[in-house]
Amino acid sequence: MKALSGRRVLLGAAGPVGALIFSAIVSAIILVLTRHNPFEAFGAMGQAFSRPRVLVGTVNQVSSYYLAAVAVAIGFKMNLLNIGVDGQYRLAAMLSAALAGASFMQGIPSVVRILMTIVAAMLIGAAWAGIAVWLKISRGVSEVISTIMLNAIATAVIAYLLSPGRLAVQQGNNLGTRPITDGGMVPTIPIPKSITPLYTLLLLALLVGVLYAFLLSRTVFGFKIKATGLNPAAAVASGISVKRMAVAGMLLSGAVAGLVGMPELLNGPSHQYSINFPSGFAFTGIAIALLGRNHPVGMAFAALLWSALDSSANALQGVGVPNQLVVIMQGTIVLSVVVAYEIVRRYRVVLEQRDVARALAQSRKEPVAA
Amino acid sequence: MSTLIDAPPAVRLTGITKRYPGVVANSDINLSVRRATVHALVGENGAGKSTLMKTLFGLHQPDEGTIEIDGQARTFASPADAIAAGIGMVHQHFMLADNLTVWENVVLGAEPTSSGRLDGARARRDIEAIAQRYGLGVDPRALVEELGVGARQRVEIIKVLYRGARILILDEPTAVLVPQEVDELFGNLADLKAEGLTIIFISHKLDEVRAIADEITVIRRGTTVGTADPRQVTNRQLAEMMVGSALPVPELRESTVTDREVLRLRGVRVAGVGRDVLSDIDLSIRAGEVVGIAGVEGNGQAELVDAIMGLEPVADGAVELAGRDVTRLSTLRRREAGVGFIPEDRHRQGLLLEATLWENRCLGFQTRRPAARGMFLDRAAARADTRRIVEQFDVRTPGIDVLAAALSGGNQQKLIVGREMSGDPALLIASHPTRGVDVGAQAAIWDQLRNARAAGLAVLLISADLEELIGMSDTLRVILRGRIGPPLDPRTVTPESLGVAMTGGHEAGGPDLPDTAGTDRPEQPGQAGVVGSADRVAESDLGTAGGSLSARKVTE
Amino acid sequence: MLRTRSVTLIAGVAAAALALTACGGGSSSTSNSGSTTSESPTSATSTPSGTVPMSTGGGSSSSDMSGMSGMSGSSMPGGSSGGSGASSGSGQTSAEQFPKLTGDPGTVKLGMAYDGPKGDQSFTDSAARGVANATGQGVQLVAELAATVGEPDQKKVDRLSQLVDQGANTVIAVGFDYATAMGTVAEANPDVHFAIVDDASLTDPSRQGGPLKNVAGLTFAAEQSSFLVGVAAALKSTKGHVGFIGGVNVPLIQSFQAGFDAGAKAANSGIKIDDKYITQPPDFSGFNAPDKGQTIAQGMYNGGADIIYSAAGGSGTGVFKAAKAANAKAIGVDSDQYNLPTLADVKDVILTSAVKNVDVAVYAMIQSVAAGKPLTGTQVYDLKNGGVGYATSGGFVSDIQSKLDDYKAKIISGEIKVPSTLG
Repeated sequence: MKALSGRRVLLGAAGPVGALIFSAIVSAIILVLTRHNPFEAFGAMGQAFSRPRVLVGTVNQVSSYYLAAVAVAIGFKMNLLNIGVDGQYRLAAMLSAALAGASFMQGIPSVVRILMTIVAAMLIGAAWAGIAVWLKISRGVSEVISTIMLNAIATAVIAYLLSPGRLAVQQGNNLGTRPITDGGMVPTIPIPKSITPLYTLLLLALLVGVLYAFLLSRTVFGFKIKATGLNPAAAVASGISVKRMAVAGMLLSGAVAGLVGMPELLNGPSHQYSINFPSGFAFTGIAIALLGRNHPVGMAFAALLWSALDSSANALQGVGVPNQLVVIMQGTIVLSVVVAYEIVRRYRVVLEQRDVARALAQSRKEPVAA
Repeated sequence: MSTLIDAPPAVRLTGITKRYPGVVANSDINLSVRRATVHALVGENGAGKSTLMKTLFGLHQPDEGTIEIDGQARTFASPADAIAAGIGMVHQHFMLADNLTVWENVVLGAEPTSSGRLDGARARRDIEAIAQRYGLGVDPRALVEELGVGARQRVEIIKVLYRGARILILDEPTAVLVPQEVDELFGNLADLKAEGLTIIFISHKLDEVRAIADEITVIRRGTTVGTADPRQVTNRQLAEMMVGSALPVPELRESTVTDREVLRLRGVRVAGVGRDVLSDIDLSIRAGEVVGIAGVEGNGQAELVDAIMGLEPVADGAVELAGRDVTRLSTLRRREAGVGFIPEDRHRQGLLLEATLWENRCLGFQTRRPAARGMFLDRAAARADTRRIVEQFDVRTPGIDVLAAALSGGNQQKLIVGREMSGDPALLIASHPTRGVDVGAQAAIWDQLRNARAAGLAVLLISADLEELIGMSDTLRVILRGRIGPPLDPRTVTPESLGVAMTGGHEAGGPDLPDTAGTDRPEQPGQAGVVGSADRVAESDLGTAGGSLSARKVTE
Repeated sequence: MLRTRSVTLIAGVAAAALALTACGGGSSSTSNSGSTTSESPTSATSTPSGTVPMSTGGGSSSSDMSGMSGMSGSSMPGGSSGGSGASSGSGQTSAEQFPKLTGDPGTVKLGMAYDGPKGDQSFTDSAARGVANATGQGVQLVAELAATVGEPDQKKVDRLSQLVDQGANTVIAVGFDYATAMGTVAEANPDVHFAIVDDASLTDPSRQGGPLKNVAGLTFAAEQSSFLVGVAAALKSTKGHVGFIGGVNVPLIQSFQAGFDAGAKAANSGIKIDDKYITQPPDFSGFNAPDKGQTIAQGMYNGGADIIYSAAGGSGTGVFKAAKAANAKAIGVDSDQYNLPTLADVKDVILTSAVKNVDVAVYAMIQSVAAGKPLTGTQVYDLKNGGVGYATSGGFVSDIQSKLDDYKAKIISGEIKVPSTLG
């Protein structure tokens, strides 16, 4: 069985590695066609990482991406497509930023303040996701449709609340929640030769990853998630309430989604949720969950890869290559990885069937039992 | 016969070997099929029949050996080559588009065109001609979704004939048919044979094979082990050739029925769309008793199972388990109360194909030991217990970490049976427990059922295999249009009489079926199978079942 | 089967999401690659000759320029004086708008950071025009980098830092969203001269930690120019019904709306004004969505408006198309859009443009470094110094020019205070 699991790891890696190589080839072709030197471009991308700043930036970005991916993956594991992570994290980040920045929070001890902020974000994310799952359970609305609509609604709600006199203050042309004072922020770690400090909420992402892994492999709840996702009919026949699982899964997904904005909010330089707050993490999360096959470790690598590609965009532009190349590479990776996974998956089933056949053929050399 | 010997055989395979890395799927296969005959290919599941037929149909190329069609050596790079050579394949699972009409399905992929446009009229004409010539009664304009299983199969056959096939491969064609439909199919095959077509018939149902085949080739562990003359060989001899051991017999020894009632349904009604799918069901199963439910598929068996399992709400009536009303309990609570469930479709309801065996062991037991301890999975205990099942139920697998999808159907089923019998269930619902499994697994599963029954298990057995149903039941009930008939004594029932009762007391074949029995088919005296004798038996043995059913019809 | 289907579905969703990200990221067909030379801007350089950002009567403003510290007095008037005649606008040369750099242009190593891709025919292109004029005179352009939509601040920090790494001694960020990042980078690089367009928070004396000494905040009183085009719209509207389309609903664009509303109401108190923003933050694609701009404009024209002010960057192209189709008029923004070659086929509908001379501001920053007296502090570009204005190209507003100039004088004198926020 050891050989078998070794092969499983190898096969698991074959998909993404193949996709990565494929996308590099596609990108090189595009570069040549647009009269750029691919070696120069890839060289610049590589060189970027000799700068501590870029490395730190890459690692910092991983936290948000990974959290988004986990939020998406919890849904994916049971065939629930939570497209609403985007709205969930933005709404959660905005409201919890308003809470953290509120003046009455000043007197509260730092740890409590931070915990309150984080818990509030999780509750808001879960509540927003809860609307979608409530619609699904009670009205049969596809969560894909409802979460997409809820993203738009979240945008409108945020736009409404984020105005002077409500939850926002205007600073220059920027509009954001009241800045969080130092006591409400999570300290960062300064890194020598890097203008950007290391975000400590990477630990939060790590913790979520460990809990996610533990949940899936060690708990009954995780087993139920897996069973529901792999075969809903069998889950029902086994006494698993698919509806209840959908509710629990979606709330959990929303709660993790609520955390997506936390590293940026509590570790980032702006101390507030403003109109410049980063967006689009959720869609990146979908891609990463896909790339990492919903696996806690796989997604960590995928988030790192994605973040590294992002980080190299500036360096690429520095040598005159449009940063869209990075988007093209990321897109190619996702598309080819989906194809590669399907091929690998089929190949693996065939391999296992052969293994079984071979093992049985050997056992049959002994006298056949009736 | 003598004239045919001079002609080259329609199909001759010599020394066919097909290897997959590490495994030889076929080795040194020799097969000769005379023209205008029905040639049966029998063997256990996994013996290599399908691999061989894929070779013949061009789905892959053999590593060694030659294929001759009508005396000419051929190589098939693809199914298109095989079709061009006049070979057609009718798959076990129909490949028809439900929302298209019969003629559209038939021409799909080989559309007749006139000046670039689909010529529907011509297609329908051609199809009607084929249907008439071979006696394959089906309306080209009918929607496929409205057709029964037998008619769909005829559409599949027409599809193949439409593409000019002279050699037909039928892969387990009777697996999905009730006895009367089997009859009908065999009539069609006789017609085809009379028109000079050659038929290769793959099956592991020995009675059927002996009824229809002119010659039988047995395949075992990837190689041909011999041919047999269906008029001389017995089931037992064939079985020995297939598995090297005797055919298992579904039979119960002395009665173990107690008077302790385990399951009781009282006036259960299940509402469907527009009408009730189950009405007024009264059913009782006692400890140590196997109650068999006979019925043509779609008469309420699935709903009956769902009602007992709590998968479908009961509109009226009560389900009682060991005297306790469980009507309002969830599936989980019922399972915890001691209900085991072998579902009809193991891939749909019984397994997580892409999970390991030990994870599958936990399915349905996720709240109980050994699978769980509190809110955590007890991996070690679950794995240990999976090993126990693998050993005790002879699940052939290299380990418990392989995916369930990697196992053969028989071994998957043994795993399910082992799982559902663990934890000391009081009631087992066994829906088609041996469907699609090989002879060895079938024997093992029957053994387990017998043992559990002796230990006091109450079993609800649903099966389309009437011999299994009759042999393994203490009591039989016929289900028809959502209503259940009175208890029958399996000792006084035959497959034929049961078949008639299942169809509502009509005479076998029915008025709309071509009357081919006994004319085109060679007489086969002493045959114990279903075919050819249903009419005869229907009159004598049907007393109880048929009579009561017609009486019920009056009251309806 | 089920699994394959769901994988396909997921893949589809992901692909769609990526496509969205890519579009949002401003992947307009225009490439950003012209970083090393002024190749792509050259086509644009011809236009400034005609852009004549300064509105009429600007000649007198040259003396007002003294209010701008460190800016050579001659830099602005060139434009303003030339702008007096609508028809004469095309006769201008770039030298008039962008007077020859004084000092040593070769000492300027320029790094540019945009908040979106070039090719918007408006805001970003205007800044690039200033850069192109400078590089033509020996200023060395180290790199031009563009942001992607939705990126976190640390990406902007990296971008600005990279420009410094690549050797820039002058870094100009075009867009207020660079404020936080520039604060960090400027503090870490006291020897580098920074400038940021549309932001005054870094140079605000009340800033926590004090204003940054090596940063110039280049801000524009866009509400003033918007007021004037609002007056023009009200005077020219035959139906007494005009419209405002903003790119993204942010305070900066709201100031355009506030000025426009005030101007329109000043000229016609009973006027009906429709307003609509293309997107809400954080979706900043509204500055680059001509299709959406066109749809919204169509709706407004159908609803009875006959003049629409498009303060929506690159989305304006769609508004102009809609105006042409509806046989109505529209008002451009930032550049004198009548004179942009890429908009030649719709220029007939461009009544006027509320000009915001980002190019002039950028050029002034470069000039100041070349002259050895780098700009710092908040630089306000308003009607008074000609930093904003309205365009007369096309001659559509010549009949009301005197009225417009009256309002202009009142704003400059302080008699009219134009609101910059929506009441």
